[in-house]
Amino acid sequence: MKDELNPFSIAQKQLDDAAEKLGLDKPTHEFLRWPMQELKFTIPVKMDYGATKIFHGFRIQYNTARGPAKGGIRWHPDETIDTVRALAAWMTWKTSVVDIPLGGGKGGVICNPKVLSETEKERLARGYIRAIARTLGVTKDVPAPDVYTTPQIMGWMMDEYETIVGEKHPGVITGKPIPIGGSQGRGDATARGGIYVIREAATAYGVELKDKPMAIQGFGNAGQYAARLGENALDLKLIAASDSKGGLYNPKGINVEELIDYKIKNGRVSGFPGADEISNEELLELEVAVLIPSALENVITKENAQRINCKILCELANGPTTPEADDILYDKGIVILPDFLVNAGGVTVSYLEQVQNTYNLYWEIEEIHWRLKEKMTRAFKSVYERSQCQKINMRQAAYLVSVARVAEACKLRGWV
Amino acid sequence: MYSGITELDEVIKGLRLGDNVVWQVDDLQEYVYFVGPFVKQALNNGNKCVYLRFAPHPPIVTSPGEGLIIKKLDPRGGFDLFSAEVHRVIEELGKEKFFIFDNISALVEEWATDELLANFFQVTCPFLRESGTVAYFALTRGHHAYSTIARIRDTTQVLIDVFRIKGNLYIHPLKVWDRYSPQMFLPHMISEKAWQPIFQSGEAAALSSTARRQSLQYMESSIAPWDSVYHKLIQYSETDKDSLEMSPEILALKKEFLRMLIGNHPEINRLAGSYFTLQDLYRVRDRMIGSGRIGGKAAGMLLARRILAGVNGERDFSQVLEDHDSFYVGSDVFFTFLVDNDLFRLRLKLSENSQLSREGFEEVEQNFLGGTFSTKIVEQFRNMLDYFGQAPIIVRSSSLLEDSFGNAFAGKYRSEFCANQGSPDERLEVFLRAVKLVYASTLSPDALSYRCRRGLAESDEQMAILVQRVSGIPYKEYFFPCLAGVAFSRNLYAWTNRIDSKKGVIRLVFGLGTRAVNRVGGDYPRMIAVSHPQLRPEIGMERAKYSQHEIDLLDLKTNRFATLRVAELLSKGKFPNIQLLVSAVRDGDLYDPYGFVQQDADHEFVLTFNNLIGNTDFIKIMGEMLECLDKAYGHPVDTEFTASVSLEDKVKINLLQCRPLWLPGVSGPIELPDNIFKEHILFKAARVISGGVISKIRYIIYIDPQGYSQISSKDFKRSVGRIVGRLNAHPHLKEEKFFMMGPGRWGSSNIDLGVNVSYADIDNTAVLVEIAHEDSGNIPEVSYGTHFFQDLVEAQIIYLPVYPDDPQAMFNRSFFEESVNILTDLLPGTNDFEDVVHVIDILKTTEGQFVKVVADPQSHSAICFLV
Repeated sequence: MKDELNPFSIAQKQLDDAAEKLGLDKPTHEFLRWPMQELKFTIPVKMDYGATKIFHGFRIQYNTARGPAKGGIRWHPDETIDTVRALAAWMTWKTSVVDIPLGGGKGGVICNPKVLSETEKERLARGYIRAIARTLGVTKDVPAPDVYTTPQIMGWMMDEYETIVGEKHPGVITGKPIPIGGSQGRGDATARGGIYVIREAATAYGVELKDKPMAIQGFGNAGQYAARLGENALDLKLIAASDSKGGLYNPKGINVEELIDYKIKNGRVSGFPGADEISNEELLELEVAVLIPSALENVITKENAQRINCKILCELANGPTTPEADDILYDKGIVILPDFLVNAGGVTVSYLEQVQNTYNLYWEIEEIHWRLKEKMTRAFKSVYERSQCQKINMRQAAYLVSVARVAEACKLRGWV
Repeated sequence: MYSGITELDEVIKGLRLGDNVVWQVDDLQEYVYFVGPFVKQALNNGNKCVYLRFAPHPPIVTSPGEGLIIKKLDPRGGFDLFSAEVHRVIEELGKEKFFIFDNISALVEEWATDELLANFFQVTCPFLRESGTVAYFALTRGHHAYSTIARIRDTTQVLIDVFRIKGNLYIHPLKVWDRYSPQMFLPHMISEKAWQPIFQSGEAAALSSTARRQSLQYMESSIAPWDSVYHKLIQYSETDKDSLEMSPEILALKKEFLRMLIGNHPEINRLAGSYFTLQDLYRVRDRMIGSGRIGGKAAGMLLARRILAGVNGERDFSQVLEDHDSFYVGSDVFFTFLVDNDLFRLRLKLSENSQLSREGFEEVEQNFLGGTFSTKIVEQFRNMLDYFGQAPIIVRSSSLLEDSFGNAFAGKYRSEFCANQGSPDERLEVFLRAVKLVYASTLSPDALSYRCRRGLAESDEQMAILVQRVSGIPYKEYFFPCLAGVAFSRNLYAWTNRIDSKKGVIRLVFGLGTRAVNRVGGDYPRMIAVSHPQLRPEIGMERAKYSQHEIDLLDLKTNRFATLRVAELLSKGKFPNIQLLVSAVRDGDLYDPYGFVQQDADHEFVLTFNNLIGNTDFIKIMGEMLECLDKAYGHPVDTEFTASVSLEDKVKINLLQCRPLWLPGVSGPIELPDNIFKEHILFKAARVISGGVISKIRYIIYIDPQGYSQISSKDFKRSVGRIVGRLNAHPHLKEEKFFMMGPGRWGSSNIDLGVNVSYADIDNTAVLVEIAHEDSGNIPEVSYGTHFFQDLVEAQIIYLPVYPDDPQAMFNRSFFEESVNILTDLLPGTNDFEDVVHVIDILKTTEGQFVKVVADPQSHSAICFLV
């Protein structure tokens, strides 16, 4: 694969830029460019039809200077070790930017879970844990669900780990079903974290939110939660929403609950009564206070960046803005709330789940929300201050804050 | 007024002064059972009772009490004398007396004709009513002509059928004048506790159809061949039971009878001949209204059931199949209706000219709705409706061409549900309307153009009707089957090669099967591959999105077919066996319930049927059933069913329909041509799962894979999809057949994976070809498993993935790239797209040739060639 398309090369390039701006010393920079530990292994699984199939798995513990590695396990047919490496690096920056005492990691299995029966999935999940059990643990590495892995799979994995070590360790994995140690508040954690960040950004940049328009591109789970919370917690008015099949627009406002109902029933937002049809491209260019891309990568490019007309761009999806577009938006004075800051609500609630497991004490939803708000608010503040201080955009500031924290931890440990 | 039996009073809402109550019984003891308490109650209240004693049977009232007057009369003097005498008694004993009559069936033995019995009843009854009495009569079931019973029913105020099955006594009120309750006209089992109405369809069907009676007692002799063949057969069967099926004369008669009943299609007749016994045919005749044929749908349903009943394997299907409870309105009734109502010529005119607008059809429908049936037919309808009571029924088209080999007519003719609530007259009115609407649907624009397209415009198309009891259970104010769906013995939806396409596929829904038969946007039945029931293309919360959100059902309160949100329905209270149907939504994932399921607004559910699939025999049984039918038909089959699972997890299936599985353009096995010149082949594909034959394709829309991958602007890539959409709707292309081909996964929201189109952008194409080139070792994913793919399968658009790098495949790249591109002729101003979008007019390019596509799902091969 060409270097510019290799996700790990991209991650390294992003680090290089931050290292340069931070003036990071060479050994620390070089140390942070590579995963600390990689496991590459095979998992034999007895299939339902009797034969044994060999699956290939990875677990990357990218950096554990700030705490045990933390990151999901992906099951995907196109999985590569470089994708997992890159995602493990990003997890390292993400846990650091929200300042939770965890490092970064990621895992993956090359498989198509759609063609596996439930029993085969269970055997694969248990096989995966057997392969990495010695490097797992509340104090070493704590996986979580990711692409195509579910709370049920986390349940099997936790059980396998506990069977191997002969003790109860619910905190070894997060994203479990609630009856076996999962946390409240996971469902809307990502959107809620993003909403808290928007609130802080609006105060910091003096952007009025009350009754101001908001547009959401991507009306899936995260988009729907964001619409609901944007309206209830920030008093924003939803005027446009879209999904892969098209969008709709009503400058007077769209009833969020009715739209969610309509979307669930019809599988699309288009056709919702009382709003005009609009394309995904047109939605991005609407004049709004808050624009929330929450579905696809690379939707804001250098072609349309000039026409983006929002005050705050909240990247709930991963990578909606290309690097060239970033600069154009910054010059236009648009506040970009970068993806790995605004969508860190998920990993933060994962961390809270682990804390509850360790204390064996479970909190009500209100307490989860309160703690999430604290973490996201602090995270925003430190990134904002860095951005103001160094006159750089929020994305660069977020990188600098997180890389600096990890680098500092490495130094304090005497590793570099 | 009380009958002396509280439970009976509850069922029929009490007696009234002036009521004549006729008890239709098999055994007089059953009459005595009701007379005893009636007399006791009357005497206890200080009323007088008059017992009219005229029959030779033992006395009905045995213990004389104060106030009981016994009047002995002699019917031997004839109708006139006897009737006059009865009148005198009524006159003499004045008003407000209670009358008990001996079994009036005995009068026929004296008077020799049914007609006089009906006359006696018709003159006596009104007189009793005017006198303000309550009178009880008994009739012996099966001793009278249908017309006699009809006259008695019309005259009396209350008519109650009494019968005994397996030691239990049942009553079934057929008429209760001026009284109504939602369950009054259902059979009720007499027990020491409450008399329970029999409403659950399986139970009701078993009760009514197997042990009860012949439901249409109208067999009147006729010299017409239809009846004479039947009567000859009956005579033979009575005289020589042992050698019955073997005798050449019987065989010939049976063949003739089959032809009259089923039709002339050689394949169907072969199957019918080998599977139906004479007894089967008699049973059909016993439940037939009018004469003529029963049509393809009815024949397919009966045939499939017969095939399964005769299976000598491990599975005893008689334990699994729910009794069907069907009536057949013969095809002659359709013609008589047309002739009697001056609609015959209208039909002829419209059949010749298939251009009928929607508005024009509405007018035709009004003409049909204004038509009437003969009294004799209406009487039979009425009798059938009495039989069903208030149980919901469905009136289904069953035309001669329908459901036969090669002609599916799926959805072209109408089916009408009758929730069947209300008084007998109201129910009759709704039923008649349903029949007329089904008749009118033979002239719907859809049906006419379908017949025309398939060259059937001139074929003999008679419409028979299949009336079936709706399978289901009552739940709150609704009625619906717990499970319903369609099942195919071949899986055209095998989206991964793990799935064995020879093992079949099931589209399963909760509630009426209409949601499985028809496609409803945004609402998805559960697709189950019989070979791997647990595999599904959705994962995580996608399973919730791609699930059934609404249920079709019958609303008994409003007496209508209705659609309801599943969540709203289930919030109304405990639904039996709900844990088999749903998964619970919790914390962004789905969980299959264990045991108790709390049904309230705080708990969100998704219909997944996971526990049904994983923990019961349902799929196994369905798979075996499909395999048996496929084998017997010698052709893949397409079935419609309802099903239920008891609290003990016992599966019951009601097979509603069975027909040969239809593939686009095909009426028999597909044969791949093997003698095509190499230079005429445009492509060959080797991983094919959908099948069909499409001839005379004039245009090809070809998206050049290389050109497409080289587009750097995402906006431009998206615009390619819009161009395809405009071509799809272009009048020149729509007039002819065309197909589309292009790189990767069409319909994907990620435009780098394939052409960005929605279903509406491609819905006119006959074939969709996805070209999957290997690029640095990566083969692009094609559409198998996506809902876009499902849309294609269901719209019967042939879907072909072509892997040009596959050694077994072939791809004539130069033809597609070098043929003249007419894109800008069709869509002026699209010059920017010429390098990517090619439109080829085959007829012009090849000077007179067309393209043909043959795809065979059996051998997983397809070929596209010039011809």
